Amino acid sequence: MSPSLDLLGLKSNPSLLKGRRRLKILGFGFGLAFVSVALRLVDMLPPQPAISSAEASDEAEGADHRRPDIVDRNGVLLATDLRLPSVFGDPLLIPDHAAAAKALAKVLSGTTAAELQDRLDKARRFTWIKHQVSPKEEEAVLQLGIPGIGFKEAEHRVYPKGRSASHIVGFVDIDNKGLAGIEYGIDHNMVGSIDPDVPVRLSIDLRVQEIVADELGKAMAQFRPIGGCGIVLDRVTGEVLAMVSMPDYDLNYPNAAGPEQRRNRCSGGSYELGSLFKVVSHAMSLDTGKVTLRSTFDATGKLQIGRFRIGDDHAKNRVMSVPEIFMYSSNIGTARMAFAAGGGPALDSFLRKLGFYDKLPLEIPEVAKPMRPHRWPDITTATVSFGHGISMPPLQYLGAVAGLAGDGTHVPVTLLRRDPGDMPTPERFIQEKTAADLRSIMYLTVAKGTGTRGQVDGYLLGGKTGTADKAILGHKGYDHNKVFASFLAALPIDNPRYLVMVNEDEPKGDKSTYGYKAGAWVAAPAVSNIISRIAPLLGVPPSAPDTILSYQDKFPQTRGIGLKSVEGTKLAAVGAED
Amino acid sequence: MIRPPLPSLGARFSGLHWPLIGLIVLMGLVGYGVLYSAAGGSNDPWAWRHAMRLGVGVVIMLMIAVTDIRWLFNLAFPFYAIVLALLLGVDVMGEISKGAQRWIDLGIIQIQPSELMKLALIMALARWFHGRRIEDVRRPLVLIAPLLMIAAPVVLVLLQPDLGTAAMLAGAGTALLFLAGVPIWQFLLVGAAGAAALPILWSRLHDYQRQRVLTFLNPEEDPLGTGYHIIQSKIALGSGGFWGKGYLNGSQAQLNFLPEKQTDFAFTMMGEEVGFVGCVVVLSLFLLMLFLTLRIAIRSQSQFGRLVAMGMGCNLALYVSINVAMVTGLVPVVGIPLPMVSYGGTAMLTVLMGFGLTLAVDAQRETIIPRFPGHL
Repeated sequence: MSPSLDLLGLKSNPSLLKGRRRLKILGFGFGLAFVSVALRLVDMLPPQPAISSAEASDEAEGADHRRPDIVDRNGVLLATDLRLPSVFGDPLLIPDHAAAAKALAKVLSGTTAAELQDRLDKARRFTWIKHQVSPKEEEAVLQLGIPGIGFKEAEHRVYPKGRSASHIVGFVDIDNKGLAGIEYGIDHNMVGSIDPDVPVRLSIDLRVQEIVADELGKAMAQFRPIGGCGIVLDRVTGEVLAMVSMPDYDLNYPNAAGPEQRRNRCSGGSYELGSLFKVVSHAMSLDTGKVTLRSTFDATGKLQIGRFRIGDDHAKNRVMSVPEIFMYSSNIGTARMAFAAGGGPALDSFLRKLGFYDKLPLEIPEVAKPMRPHRWPDITTATVSFGHGISMPPLQYLGAVAGLAGDGTHVPVTLLRRDPGDMPTPERFIQEKTAADLRSIMYLTVAKGTGTRGQVDGYLLGGKTGTADKAILGHKGYDHNKVFASFLAALPIDNPRYLVMVNEDEPKGDKSTYGYKAGAWVAAPAVSNIISRIAPLLGVPPSAPDTILSYQDKFPQTRGIGLKSVEGTKLAAVGAED
Repeated sequence: MIRPPLPSLGARFSGLHWPLIGLIVLMGLVGYGVLYSAAGGSNDPWAWRHAMRLGVGVVIMLMIAVTDIRWLFNLAFPFYAIVLALLLGVDVMGEISKGAQRWIDLGIIQIQPSELMKLALIMALARWFHGRRIEDVRRPLVLIAPLLMIAAPVVLVLLQPDLGTAAMLAGAGTALLFLAGVPIWQFLLVGAAGAAALPILWSRLHDYQRQRVLTFLNPEEDPLGTGYHIIQSKIALGSGGFWGKGYLNGSQAQLNFLPEKQTDFAFTMMGEEVGFVGCVVVLSLFLLMLFLTLRIAIRSQSQFGRLVAMGMGCNLALYVSINVAMVTGLVPVVGIPLPMVSYGGTAMLTVLMGFGLTLAVDAQRETIIPRFPGHL
């Protein structure tokens, strides 16, 4: 090739040849992108694509959108359909738009003559005048006798209980199609087979739900967190008896609520739970058999891992037994236990078994995915053992604890009522002996550890406190002034049937808590109040004195807080404050 | 060297690629129909403006199409410099529009320099690579200038902040580098560096942008908040079914459930009213446009012409595929309109100007462009 030709960039230019090949590759790639979006459109076609457009528009008017009622476990009505007329107009048939608009606006509340006339002038053959009018308004419109005005009846969803269980029930759009909660689940095959004439029966007990909402609401008013969650779970059946996310909203007016009100914090938010998570890591460590209640670990000073130093909030600076580590919530001790029990790999496989690596299967769409570590260097093993570096929705956590704090077997959680004949086969999470050990240290926590403010007169309880520093969004590290505070209790701890948990997101301490915003101060009293109100309702009798004593016999002698010292103090039944 | 004379203006007009022009006008008319329906069967407020812009845009397109391509070649760098300056200008004195600085007010019209940048960047890159031999392109150091040419506007647009347009600029720029023959391993290297920079980018994003990405991952989380767009869009598309509910009869769109139905979600509105069939027809028309553009690029005898035509093809394909993927919930809502159909002046003007350039490349495909302007 002569230089001058090359200078001109002629046909034999190698960059042109190379460009041609690449151009075809790129063109092919774009063609592929088009085809894939077209395939996506195929994917979005409704199941029966052959329906005629007339039928389709009928469906859009709500004629076929009858929905089943939603009731609580005892049959209390939470959502139902009401057939209401909507007014429309055919502008072509209405002789005088201005006069008609004026007359209609007078009888239909919430409309103005100018707006109605504008609508009539702009549309050709059809415009809505007002959706869902009352019988009184319907009558008034009929009395006007304007030609070209008609009614279309459609199902309209009403929620007689307003705010109750708003995050579980969910709501519908104007076509009566579910947008959130169980309402969404009904339209998306998440609730099982649906018959419009058979109510969907929730696992929720509205009485329990209201009590949790009341107590959580009081805690919200006192400690002003940005959000709160309260759950009551039947450990044996997996049924959620109450799940309250705050702030909540009135289901009849979902548009009036902001995203913060509509967010379901119990299942739709993923949080680091902090010390609360020690229930899980202690269960893991004890279940290996490499750690027992009699094992002791050095919690002197701080635990150095690489360039990180781990300290304790309630530092004892001495050798501690396993029950002490749990009841005083020692990070150092918990981490050393996890290492002794097999470290990262052991924790990894245990968390997988508990379902923490998958999204919780639930009948509503508002379920957040857990976030979990993918590699297990020592620092990760340590932080996960005390609940940092792993996050999940509170409901998912409580569902797993149900498989640890009872007899060691687990039934998946559900928001629908389960018939006794219909129970899934329980899956064993840990040995029965481990579960008993876990219950004993949970008992000690409430009796004499960090959870004393969760005590309830007459009931033998076990539990765990948690106060997690919140991670700063988009940055490394944690904000020590913002915490996620929790308390979890099992009722009764000798044979737990119910789990109760309250979480508060960014609570502020006040005078009554001496400024503390820890779970022990802001969440435990709420749980205590809830239990004292729901226990009689659920038929849980106060623990018999000899049950309490016999249960205590199971405890090992531990330094400082062994059997003797527990007996020496007032029993859990008495609200001991230090 | 003597500059070969161009044919007469009349001959140049008759030599244009009229089938492509017809296709473009047809697509603009589809847009008119959609916007007419979006207003509930009314020319006001969108359809008639769309039609006027279409008319003006087509005239501009034809004017560019008959311009001497060597002149356009010489204009590439100055044009790029001016648009870059305008981009800087909006950051300084731009008008705040929905939380973002994108517009510059010239008194008579408001323009979005970020849209013009899509043209300017393609022209400037094509101009740069036209002057390089394939051996040069293989040398990493030679790539510094084009990388800077891409990075400068991308960063400025990100600052506005306009994630979608920045992504499109970066995409079109990358496609041009690929076409110009940059070795594959260099792409992998830059790709790896980009992946490493993602966390930093994430922390620099505005809250609403993060929210959009998070919402995309789980739109049902907040059905009335940011996820609302996607959910409503899916409902509307699904309810259209195979044949659609009929023109002017889409209840989701007509009853105002569908947000932004005249702009970014115009495709959804179409899907509800004319169904899957209508959507596939429109997509096929776009695919045909892309195919014709591609053929023009392949037949062009100059590197500049080929890169410009292909760059405009990329631009079109990115617009369409991102928009449709967005409204069907495949990618986050980033605010990319459907070209020629969505309501919005600058975007349509940009696409039409791009087609003007493509048409010019086609009509003058045998024209020889020297490596450097000095050789003219």
